[in-house]
Amino acid sequence: MILGIGAIFVIRLFYLQVIRHDYYVGLATEEQQSRFVIPASRGQIYAKSGDTPVQLVMNEKVYTVFADPVTISDKAKIVETMRRIAGGNTRPEFDKLLDKTDTRYQIIATKLSRLQADKIKAEGLRGIGFQELSQRVYPENALAGQILGFVNTTGEGSYGIEGYLNTDLKGKDGLLQAVTDVSNVPLTIGNNNIRTPKQDGKNVVLTVDRNIQSKVEAALAAGIDRTGATKGSALVMDPHTGKILAMANLPTYSPGAYNKVENVADFNNNAISDPYEPGSSLKTYTLATGIDKGVVKTSDTYNNTDSIKIGDDYVVGNATKGQTGIISFQRALTWSLNTGFVTIAQRLGDGNSVTKGARDSMYEYFHDRLRLGQLTGVELANEAPGTVFSPEEVQGNAVRYATMSFGQGLDTTMLQVASGFNALVNGGTYYKPTIIDGYMTDDGFVQNPASAPLQTGVVSKSTSDQIVQATHDARASSFGYTDKPGYYIGGKTGTSQVGVAGGYSNTETIGSYLGYGGGNEAEYVIMIRLSGDNKELQGARDALPVFTDISNWMLDYLKVHPKG
Amino acid sequence: MSHQNNNYIASRRQQNWSRNQNTTRFVSSIKLGPVAHTVLVALMITVLGLIYLTQATRATSYDYESQKIDSQIADLNDQKSDLQIENARLTALETVKNSSVAREMTTPVSTEYAQ
Repeated sequence: MILGIGAIFVIRLFYLQVIRHDYYVGLATEEQQSRFVIPASRGQIYAKSGDTPVQLVMNEKVYTVFADPVTISDKAKIVETMRRIAGGNTRPEFDKLLDKTDTRYQIIATKLSRLQADKIKAEGLRGIGFQELSQRVYPENALAGQILGFVNTTGEGSYGIEGYLNTDLKGKDGLLQAVTDVSNVPLTIGNNNIRTPKQDGKNVVLTVDRNIQSKVEAALAAGIDRTGATKGSALVMDPHTGKILAMANLPTYSPGAYNKVENVADFNNNAISDPYEPGSSLKTYTLATGIDKGVVKTSDTYNNTDSIKIGDDYVVGNATKGQTGIISFQRALTWSLNTGFVTIAQRLGDGNSVTKGARDSMYEYFHDRLRLGQLTGVELANEAPGTVFSPEEVQGNAVRYATMSFGQGLDTTMLQVASGFNALVNGGTYYKPTIIDGYMTDDGFVQNPASAPLQTGVVSKSTSDQIVQATHDARASSFGYTDKPGYYIGGKTGTSQVGVAGGYSNTETIGSYLGYGGGNEAEYVIMIRLSGDNKELQGARDALPVFTDISNWMLDYLKVHPKG
Repeated sequence: MSHQNNNYIASRRQQNWSRNQNTTRFVSSIKLGPVAHTVLVALMITVLGLIYLTQATRATSYDYESQKIDSQIADLNDQKSDLQIENARLTALETVKNSSVAREMTTPVSTEYAQ
């Protein structure tokens, strides 16, 4: 009998301790061990102020205060304390939430600072708890909003640099698995502790200079006010590196209040996301192609009759009439005469028509060398490629290429046009546009190595020099008086028609200006674009003054020496 | 030959004994029964347990100290972070532009450059 009972015990113990060993060990581990996620800090974003990195996006700890209506003991004190310390951070009528005893969790205040949270904690209120959160904070408010993008409620970056570099900025959470005491304090006893350190996100330093950015945003806003435009974009680049010094669009938004934006289109960075027909500013590309192929010089002439026939039934006219007769291509550039640039396209062929050979040459320069109609690879989310039809396509016919010679019949972004123009004025080297200058580490600012050219010899040095001269002369003839004396400024206006179903709008045009400035060489390239629904905006009248405003300021800011 | 060797060994042993005069064979007169054995084993287990507990408690106390220091570090980092944010806000362009110093500034009439 005793042996029988003993045997039962032994068998039962064997079952529990040997056969069910893993199961009970699992239960015990679950009871004794806790897993803690160690949240990685999202990387900060810096701009430059001269050579010094300054923070544009930082992280701030904020606190949500919640109450357990069942547990609270002194409602009056809670209400008084919250009103006194949390003030505007409390939810409307939060005192009524404290009466909802059928729930155990009521949020009564949000986004409290650490100081506020500490003061409330010090009151020792029963039934009140805190949740710690990290949120993005923007010391410069809306500055460069569309470059930055924002972090949404799930912690993912959207738009701008936040969207493009989301993985790098996010970092990787760490993990702590350990035996804990009743207060959840991790203890080192136990064999299965795991500690995986967190990897904080990278701190990115942009090429954007906050002072230039601020000036550009102000100048663009003033330009919009002056002209009645409803949308505007501006871009400032260093033509010798491809670095973006400023990029602004209006309307814009403040990333810290992205949830209050009514029109989601405001999130878009139109300078990279909204391809359009750039218009006459692209005449610089056609002139460069003609010069580089050796078919024209700026001093060469043609007979301007204010219209030119393409094929049998397509006629291109000039927007500015009256400069008729035998005139130079320089004059055609100065007066932005379409006929001059269709003529260059024809001279790239047999001299009478925009042949397949002419189209191949234009495509080679526009698309392959100067990279229009393709992604630039700039480190910003939602870049659009635009479109340049190849001569191999049916749509890449003579009429299209004739119109492309003066900036129609293709879609490009401002960044593409400005990046190609950099190469036209810097001696012929194409640099990939970039907005990342380096990273901020524990050891300080680590700058990226100097940009390697994506392609050298895009056009010859001689061609580049002639484009610099031609655009300077074009500007100087009518607008030189607006520039600071002693400097070398050049540029080209653009007034683009807006495509609508079946043709072009008769009531809306986009005004743009593309130019450079400096002393002995181009120190910066600026592109401006203004538009508005049913607004006829012009390059010279509307966009050029914005360029001038920024350009004159840049000469002082960069301490450019006058040409000498 | 073998006989001679034995003599030699016996002789060595005698020499050793004589050198260690105090060497004795001790046989205790106390006999431990099964109960005493059990008690002794239990005592030994208790002592070992106490040693283990002491060590574990000491390790745990270090954990609490470490936790406290970690918490202090986190607090200080938070304070540092708050100060950095405040610094960034105070040096932000908008703040600087609206400062009394900035309002007093004027645009230079002309600029000259030293070569």
